[in-house]
Amino acid sequence: MTGQLDAQLQQALADRLLALADDEVILGHRDAEWTGHAPILEEDIAIANLAQDEIGHALIWYQLREDLTGRDPDETVYFRDASAYRNVQMVELPKGDWAFTMLRQYLFDVYERLLLDRLVASTHAPLAEAAAKIRREEIYHYRHTSTWVERLALGTEESHRRMQDGLDRLWPFAAQLFVAGPGDGALAAAGIFPDLSELQQAWEATVRPFLEQAELTIPQAEPLTVGRERHTHWLPILLGEMQVVARVETPETAW
Amino acid sequence: MPDTEWPRYEVFKQDRPNRPHEAVGTVHAPDPEMALLNARDVFVRRPACHSLWVAPQDQVLTMTALEMELNPAWAEETVPEDAPVRTFHVFTRQHQRRTMVAATHVGQIQARTHREALRKALEQGEFTDRPVYLWMIVPADAITGSREEDVESLFRPAEEKHYRDQSYYSGRVFDKKALKRREREVA
Repeated sequence: MTGQLDAQLQQALADRLLALADDEVILGHRDAEWTGHAPILEEDIAIANLAQDEIGHALIWYQLREDLTGRDPDETVYFRDASAYRNVQMVELPKGDWAFTMLRQYLFDVYERLLLDRLVASTHAPLAEAAAKIRREEIYHYRHTSTWVERLALGTEESHRRMQDGLDRLWPFAAQLFVAGPGDGALAAAGIFPDLSELQQAWEATVRPFLEQAELTIPQAEPLTVGRERHTHWLPILLGEMQVVARVETPETAW
Repeated sequence: MPDTEWPRYEVFKQDRPNRPHEAVGTVHAPDPEMALLNARDVFVRRPACHSLWVAPQDQVLTMTALEMELNPAWAEETVPEDAPVRTFHVFTRQHQRRTMVAATHVGQIQARTHREALRKALEQGEFTDRPVYLWMIVPADAITGSREEDVESLFRPAEEKHYRDQSYYSGRVFDKKALKRREREVA
């Protein structure tokens, strides 16, 4: 099925694309906050690259959504309030220390990589094509962040403690990545978007042994399973900063 | 204060499969894998790349022609008889133009030490058809390189990205007339 989607599937796909894009744009913004502040120069360049990649991926998803809904990506990013954003809470949390940032990125990268592995076989051709393009960069992100997580977790007493603190905080939030929205069942049935519970199993089968091998303890905490319309107070603060230039400039401003 | 800086690695970049590796600079890193990833981020964000090598700087012998001339004793050393023979990669700089590349890969030499490799390179004359201003001698076993299967994820995406010099953004970017003018120029 590569042609027209019925109205219900089209809406479900538009919602899912918004979730994908919002996750990436907010995570990209948090990563970008390290620019000029990363622990060493090389890593400063690396995290800026990574942030730019994530924002680039967001743009790809927003554009696919625009093809379905006519909603302009810039309008979507700069003129929506927090309540209309559909990112998971994990990506809106403040950037924390380097261990927190690398671990968050790692947990997200594993999710994204496994998702893209499945999306390249989507029955919806534009989605499959976009996934193939994004996947190459994600393989690199995964390599970069897993390298960092491993080294910090197995490094000094302090780096291990910081990594464990990060995991204690992030682990419950990560579960929200796999919370299905109202249209996701229909998308999975049509082979457009993978089944999220299968994706969650694959994700756990990857991250659990990796973290345990890095001598980290996976916390026994209640997972966050609220829908993507619910946010922490950190999101409006982030958006205030991210949107201010676009909102104070006149629409005619040329960049 | 103790030096907390990570060790330096020399970075060698190959633009295309049939081109030589070139010494493009250094990165700091705690280990070879991170050196390779840092090299990718620092040196391969935009231009084409097919392969990257990194080698700890303290395992690379770098010598200028002037250093060799001022200190002829550089060649003197006692090489233990039983020292194993290794492969050394030879890089040279044979011009004095201002470029981003310090030295270019010209070949390999079998030797027991860096200095023996350099002495042999000079004796053989194979690499000295033109004056050599800088030598870099890199033991093959000190190199960590990207692999063929890394090309897709490490280097390929960069080729599709726009690269603009700073000057592209110069002038009054808020001025619509200037923008129109620039668009015409580009077209």
